[in-house]
Amino acid sequence: MPSDVPMIDRRPVWSLTLWYLVAALLILMAVGPAIWLIVIAFQPPGGELYSLKGGFTLDNFRAAWRDGNLAGPLFNSVLVTIVRAALNVFIAALAAYPLARMRFRGRDTVFVLLLATMMIPEQVIVVPMFRMIVGMGLYDTLIAVVLPFSVTAFGIYLCRQAFLAIPDEVEEAARMDGAGSLRIWWSVILPLSAPTLATLALFSVIGAWSELLWPLIVLQEQNKFTLPVALNNMLSQFEANTRAAYAGAVLSLAPILLLFAIAQRFLKAEIFGGAVKG
Amino acid sequence: MAFLAPAVIVLGVFFAGSLAQVVYLSFTRYTAFSGPDWVGLENYSRLLASERFWRGLLNSGLYLLVTPAIIVLSLLAAMAVEVRLRGMSWMRLALFLPVVTPTIVAALMWRLLYNEDSGVLNAALKGLGFEGIRWLSERPWTLISAALVTLWKGFGFYMMVFLAALASVPRELREAAALDGANRAQVFWTVTFPSIRPAIALVFVISSISALKVFEELFVTIKGAPVSHQTVVPLIYQVAFEEGNYGMASAIGITLFVIILAFSVVQLKLTSRGERT
Repeated sequence: MPSDVPMIDRRPVWSLTLWYLVAALLILMAVGPAIWLIVIAFQPPGGELYSLKGGFTLDNFRAAWRDGNLAGPLFNSVLVTIVRAALNVFIAALAAYPLARMRFRGRDTVFVLLLATMMIPEQVIVVPMFRMIVGMGLYDTLIAVVLPFSVTAFGIYLCRQAFLAIPDEVEEAARMDGAGSLRIWWSVILPLSAPTLATLALFSVIGAWSELLWPLIVLQEQNKFTLPVALNNMLSQFEANTRAAYAGAVLSLAPILLLFAIAQRFLKAEIFGGAVKG
Repeated sequence: MAFLAPAVIVLGVFFAGSLAQVVYLSFTRYTAFSGPDWVGLENYSRLLASERFWRGLLNSGLYLLVTPAIIVLSLLAAMAVEVRLRGMSWMRLALFLPVVTPTIVAALMWRLLYNEDSGVLNAALKGLGFEGIRWLSERPWTLISAALVTLWKGFGFYMMVFLAALASVPRELREAAALDGANRAQVFWTVTFPSIRPAIALVFVISSISALKVFEELFVTIKGAPVSHQTVVPLIYQVAFEEGNYGMASAIGITLFVIILAFSVVQLKLTSRGERT
């Protein structure tokens, strides 16, 4: 047994082997389906879906791009994701500032009421939300996709927690220097809360990029589709499009994987923090 | 209060306002062509007599079985990898991949594995001499297929929750119990389990609520299967946006909301009791 392996308790070799086997199995289960999807997406058309004929082709991606018209949806998804994540962080950080650092009557009531909206599932209220969007003349626009989800109670909660942790002296010093509330928010509070804001942005990006139900409801024209809606639509068409749909799925997965790779260090520290540190 | 205005307007109009409206709309006859006209409890009485509504509720009830499966599997996995070995952080990272995978992509991946003629799963079953399973067209397999996607996607997240909980169990306590001659099972039930019970309760509520709200896993994974294979949320989508019966869809929504609310109340009780994060 190598002595540099940190362990909380001593185990015999067979036990270690068993743990590594369990870990390998878990990794296989977690990443196996994704790898299989990627392999199939690069396979030449024809033949059965599970048979690996070897060979490598970009034909499925070309088909996805051309026949599935994925260029537009990809652009729409990028736009919707960026705008929604930016608004999520901006509006939540705005709202959290007075909730965390100002004293006024009804503050806690407002906070509790805002938080209570977390208990209203989107799936329950799709009909009236759809009705409002139609009433505002926003049906079949990308604004409709973003607007109801431009801020979340969860985001406000997250920001408030971060703002509460900032010492009063920091804010007082800025106020002595003559800074107003907006200025303090922007140049003192926000920079000090950067890790939380980044976490919120990451969650928002993943949520916006993945959302299917709501865009499916408010979008109609193919050129307005976001990527998940377009993928769903490809699936509803012919079986012949199947491989193209899988290529499209890889396009949808790739940015998330990229983001994941970039954020990996940060994720390890932020999300797995307590669990990873020995 | 300019700081608060955007958030209050968006959440007030689209969430609180919608909730008030959906209650009202559930008492109206409201279709894509006419209404809303007040009809009292008509939608609800028709729901009670609707076979597919009950079927949807039953399917949602069956879908809730994903919760105990998630708890047992992710807790076992968390306990298995709790030992700090080399490379374990990579495993944790790998398990987080499904969590961030867009649900529609996850559904497509699994659809590929489930393909009844040429998917890997049936190929493996046939290779072992069994019949292929009709993953995408026969009840209850359709529900199981969708539930496996939910399980796959949620597993990593819930495992993290359990890992964090396990890390908070005092090691000395477990070691002392082991020194006193308790075997592994005894240590688990007398020391570990009581300490992580709040985490288990939390996972129970969170995963139950998301199981009740499930949409994409069914809508995409088993696309093509009859509506009688769907749970409540795909039914709401079907009734509202494919049949244009908004009033009825609102009534189904309210029913779902009441059920979810019951779970939410349990969650509130749990989170306000302990100071767990």
